[in-house]
Amino acid sequence: MKVLAAGVVPLLLVLHWKHGAGSPLPITPGNGTCATRHPCHSNLMNQIRNQLAQLNGSANALFILYYTAQGEPFPNNLDKLCGPNVTDFPPFHANGTEKAKLVELYRVIAYLGASLGNITRDQKLLNPSALSLHSKLNATADVLRGLLSNVLCRLCSKYHVAHVDVAYGPDTSGKDVFQKKKLGCQLLGKYKQVIAVVAQAF
Amino acid sequence: MSVLQTWLVQALFIFLITGSIGVLLDPCGRINPESPVVQLGSNFTAVCVLKERCMDYFHVNANFIVWKMGHFTIPKEQYTIINRTAASVTLTDVTSLNIQLTCNILTFGQIEQNVYGITLISGLPPEKPKNLNCIVNEGKKMMCYWDPGRETYLETNFTLKSEWATEKFADCKTKRDTPTSCTVDYSPVYFVNMEVWVEAANALGKVTSDHINFDPVDKVKPNTPRNLSVSNSEELSSILKLTWINSNIKNVIRLKYDIQYRTKGASTWSQIPPEDTASTRSSFTVQDLKPFTEYVFRIRCMKEDGKGFWSDWSEEASGITYEDRPSNTPSFWYKIDPSHSHGHRSVQLMWKTLPPFEANGKILGYEVTLTRWKSRLQNYTVNDTKLTVNLTNDRYIVTLTARNAVGRSDASVLTIPACDFQGYLAESKCYLITVTPVYADGPGSPVSIKAYLKQAPPSKGPTVRTKKVGKNEAVLEWDQLPVDVQNGFIRNYTIFYRTNIGNETAVNVDSSHTEYTLSSLTSDTLYMVRMAAYTDEGGKDGPEFTFTTPKFAQGEIEAIVVPVCLAFLLTTLLGVLFCFNKRDLIKKHIWPNVPDPSKSHIAQWSPHTPPRHNFNPKDQMYSDGNFTDVSVVEIEANDKKSFPEDLKSLELFKKEKVSTEGHSSGIGGSSCMSSSRPSISSSDENESAQNTSSTVQYSTVVHSGYRHQVPSVQVFSRSESTQPLLDSEERPEDLQLVDNVDGGDGILPRQQYFKQNCSQQETSPDISHFERSNQVSSVNEEDFVRLKQQISGIPQSCGSGQMKMFQEVSAADAFGPDTEGQGERFKTAGMEAVLDEGMPKSYLPQTVRQGGYMPQ
Repeated sequence: MKVLAAGVVPLLLVLHWKHGAGSPLPITPGNGTCATRHPCHSNLMNQIRNQLAQLNGSANALFILYYTAQGEPFPNNLDKLCGPNVTDFPPFHANGTEKAKLVELYRVIAYLGASLGNITRDQKLLNPSALSLHSKLNATADVLRGLLSNVLCRLCSKYHVAHVDVAYGPDTSGKDVFQKKKLGCQLLGKYKQVIAVVAQAF
Repeated sequence: MSVLQTWLVQALFIFLITGSIGVLLDPCGRINPESPVVQLGSNFTAVCVLKERCMDYFHVNANFIVWKMGHFTIPKEQYTIINRTAASVTLTDVTSLNIQLTCNILTFGQIEQNVYGITLISGLPPEKPKNLNCIVNEGKKMMCYWDPGRETYLETNFTLKSEWATEKFADCKTKRDTPTSCTVDYSPVYFVNMEVWVEAANALGKVTSDHINFDPVDKVKPNTPRNLSVSNSEELSSILKLTWINSNIKNVIRLKYDIQYRTKGASTWSQIPPEDTASTRSSFTVQDLKPFTEYVFRIRCMKEDGKGFWSDWSEEASGITYEDRPSNTPSFWYKIDPSHSHGHRSVQLMWKTLPPFEANGKILGYEVTLTRWKSRLQNYTVNDTKLTVNLTNDRYIVTLTARNAVGRSDASVLTIPACDFQGYLAESKCYLITVTPVYADGPGSPVSIKAYLKQAPPSKGPTVRTKKVGKNEAVLEWDQLPVDVQNGFIRNYTIFYRTNIGNETAVNVDSSHTEYTLSSLTSDTLYMVRMAAYTDEGGKDGPEFTFTTPKFAQGEIEAIVVPVCLAFLLTTLLGVLFCFNKRDLIKKHIWPNVPDPSKSHIAQWSPHTPPRHNFNPKDQMYSDGNFTDVSVVEIEANDKKSFPEDLKSLELFKKEKVSTEGHSSGIGGSSCMSSSRPSISSSDENESAQNTSSTVQYSTVVHSGYRHQVPSVQVFSRSESTQPLLDSEERPEDLQLVDNVDGGDGILPRQQYFKQNCSQQETSPDISHFERSNQVSSVNEEDFVRLKQQISGIPQSCGSGQMKMFQEVSAADAFGPDTEGQGERFKTAGMEAVLDEGMPKSYLPQTVRQGGYMPQ
């Protein structure tokens, strides 16, 4: 129970990103309804592609900024410390149907969004002066949030998918400083790798 | 205890004080409503309710109420006494924004005492906000702005609402000083459409603007391109290269640019064509600039597709184009010192510095060359703008060139005349007199004029020639007279033209022209034309020129010939088509198929001749055109068949029958078999053609003769001929079929056939006669069955349905309903059908076919 609380509370905090506060984030759109506040735009897929390109274009810079900000030993031991060894990362199959890809993308973004929230929270504590990194993390989280909205809109409006089960990464709040940094670095390495594949798949 | 007493005393004191103040402040009445806000222009009613206490104290009631607006007493007419304690007042068309309304009573009949007062606030409900738009300044929060509409005179709150399709954002409330815009407190997320609207609310109402839905990336105002720099090129003096650093938005969207430039000091900007800068870039080369000129540039950018906003202009950056060689020569003159010594003179050469737009660079120096007649050059390199040289009294030619880092200008040439030069002006010579003013800082602009000492008539007239000759006009042209032969100013030309026999016509032409069009000429005529040029002193004729106008205008012949050819071609084509379509008719009349008797032979004639079972219609098919004007009439004596009485017009056949039968019986008994079959004929080519390969066992052949000549003798023959002599031939199998039909049920087709024409015919015994008069046509079994089916499906009475069926079978169009004399009409109609179609698809028409039997 304690473990659950330790995992859920920060998760909820993470899910309530900045200006979404007060409104439920439709990670798991409920009750099988596909009601949106207003009709989804017809240009969704193009917007999704642009968002993925935007993320892909900034992923490497974010990765570099992150491990640079962590200081040694990270910059010189990237393979060991920042390898994309994220075992529970949601799978993505680039050769699936659009619907299948969108569902998988939804899971990937949800996972990344939550993890990025953890990283941002940790970095504000561990590297309070790394404002550039904080800014970049926030900007990436914003884009992910927008992407999630678009994917949900698309799933809802075209495929009438109102509910997608999602999974989140481990909570880092209880980890030590090094582990926090390492997990963040691994996650960003994985993010860089995955987003390139996803951007190519759409 | 003492403390408690103190507390109690204090409390009592406060209570009493409060109570007395309350009594003192307690008004004598109240006005309802107490804080009204009304719409401007509307009516407002307030009610003043007096308290009994005051009424008793002052001995008043509602009738004593006086309403006042500020110091102005409202007329009694606007009052309404509701009851003893209450009276209302109605204000119509409230126009004041702030009204102090008081309820007063007249105490003791005349003393006005205020009872209660309210402030009436008026204003307008908010209008629907219009023109809502948003802007996303790169790197900043999104700001939306709108037109709030009319002044409401009330405190009006504007709230900006925004949402994605999946979530809502926090409201953005305007600040008091900026009620027409609001900056949201979240970072814009590109490529997600959001919906935004404004809500305006005040005491009189709430209204919402139209919703706008947009992608924030389409509302971006990018940051200004920075670090704009300008560099020139040594290779090209007319270009400058601009470089700049784009804002980070280029990682998200594609950009286009607006680049402006001007020369330093100029006020107006020139613009680079937008199409040249319509894509993301970080440098641009501006061309077609002036050499060695300083230009100032500025740049701005926006989203490539034009959605969004232009960035602010960048800071201006300037650059100078590289030098080019001087494009002009310096103005150049000389001054001779009058106090010259014997044989020599001092000449000062002076020139002006070139203006920057001609110098094209920094002038490093001037090169002066002096050339005496047939002498060598003297070169001088001067940095100054003057040079003093000692010259002999001879004539000199001086050249001057300016030099910069790139090259030299063209040379400016000046002639210094010899010292003893005296002007001699000849008559009839054109002189160009140039006056150059000399100011303190150099020469001014020279002015020139042409002049003659004395004019004379031209020594030669202009030579005229034709440029173009038409049917009724000719364009003449000529060259200007050379100056040497003009001898004066040419004032005008005169053109003289005439025909061989006609009078000469003169036309005056202005001297500035070198071309003139003579119109109204006669075609195919020889014209002689000459031209004279006139100065103030007279004229001179030029040589005469002749030309002949053509008979036809250009294209006239073609306009005649082409339509004629086309018409001829068309006629020929139509003729060929006509001949092709009517080839049968032509063939019949010009080269009909004449049976070759040599190929005929008498077949073995025996009733026992085995029937030939040839049911293949393809084998029996032949072209109808191969067989002209040959009719076969088979006459049979079958009195059992009914004859339509109304076909009396066919009595002729009956009469003919006698002789025909006589002939037939004389030849062979098989004629009975032949003639006993129902005569179902059809013009169907297949059915007719199937006889060509059959052998006629016994038949009556009647030639209609060549070209409608009635043969005088009927020929009866028994033939084995395979020639297409007969229109139709019998086949044993057909005969058998016919016999069967004839003897029993087979009669039905014929009877039905006549039923189709008229039911009365059933009783006529002469039907066989009629049928015999038809051209014999054998049909194969299949055709026969088909016919039978067609016929058997027809009802017994005449009607439109029958007509329809007939149309399928034959030229039934000619068949009318069941009336007396139908046979007459029928025959006539059948004839017409035959004439029209040549080979009608009918049973009957063959009886009256051209060249058939009946005309005999």
